[in-house]
Amino acid sequence: MEEVPLLKDLHTRYAQQAEIIGISIDVSVPRVDRTIKEKGMTWPILADGNGFDGPVPRAYHIQGTPDLFIVDRDGKIFARLGSATQLEDRLKDALR
Amino acid sequence: MTSSRFLVIATVAAAMVTGRATLAQQPAADPAVQEVRQAIDAARKEVDAYKKAGGATDAADQPAIKWDAAFWGYRERYPRSDAAALASAEAVRLLGRAGLWERAHARVASLEADDPAWLRVASPVYDDGIARKDLPYTIDTLSRVVGATTNPAIKSSVGLIVGRAYRRQGDLAAATRALEAAKGASPGTPYAEEADGLIYEIKFLSVGLPAPAVEGQTRSGPTISLASLRGKAVVLVFWGTT
Repeated sequence: MEEVPLLKDLHTRYAQQAEIIGISIDVSVPRVDRTIKEKGMTWPILADGNGFDGPVPRAYHIQGTPDLFIVDRDGKIFARLGSATQLEDRLKDALR
Repeated sequence: MTSSRFLVIATVAAAMVTGRATLAQQPAADPAVQEVRQAIDAARKEVDAYKKAGGATDAADQPAIKWDAAFWGYRERYPRSDAAALASAEAVRLLGRAGLWERAHARVASLEADDPAWLRVASPVYDDGIARKDLPYTIDTLSRVVGATTNPAIKSSVGLIVGRAYRRQGDLAAATRALEAAKGASPGTPYAEEADGLIYEIKFLSVGLPAPAVEGQTRSGPTISLASLRGKAVVLVFWGTT
């Protein structure tokens, strides 16, 4: 959750070149909705309430959070990151 | 959260260090394990404080040396136990963190291939290879153990780390071979499950492969799909509210 301010910032500054999709691994969707509101999360969020067993977390073999993937302009996996600390640098690389 | 999944200790330890939330549970501690864990806490504090105060690596008062001896002492007090394994791994980790690589490597080299300490020691040997940018050391050392041990749990758990090391080096074929062997040594166990997970990641989630489909209705209403965003980079953020 500490990555929220950074994601908010990137979502604004890279609006033309990049999109962010949040995929929640929560089992309580109302709780996700509350958090989206409280934290002012502006990017699209998927939450199916299936936790780690939802189809998308399974396809990406998610076992813990946060877990981030950068997908390049061609739809290919560019990087997987265990935190947001290097996200902007790696995103810049992906856009190069 | 589901509790059926399992990650080996290496992953758990890494997760604890980085503060990431995971599905893994902490193993229940017996008194000897608790004793060792307390010693680990005390040792880390002392070594960190020494480092912060600017203490020299090879000075005689370097606390890692004293603690290494203390940790190795647990191996005699609680032979072939999980407590001994934890203590052995911490000795190797502390020596490495203090930059005393030769001592660390000598400790590692002294372990026989069937010593259950390998269940814990492989992880600091992996970290060692990363810290010194010498993963071949990690791969050589651990492959020798995998080849020589008669203990299936050691063969699998150490083999998993060999697979991770090859993957990190970018040798995906060798990584897959090591992971298949790790899986074959202990079928139906959590080790085999973890090997399967890593094999899946190599096959479907390696850099350069098409990203698996992502689509659905967003919480704000509209549907979104990764496929419709071609031409833009996309950051997928898997997250949880807790």
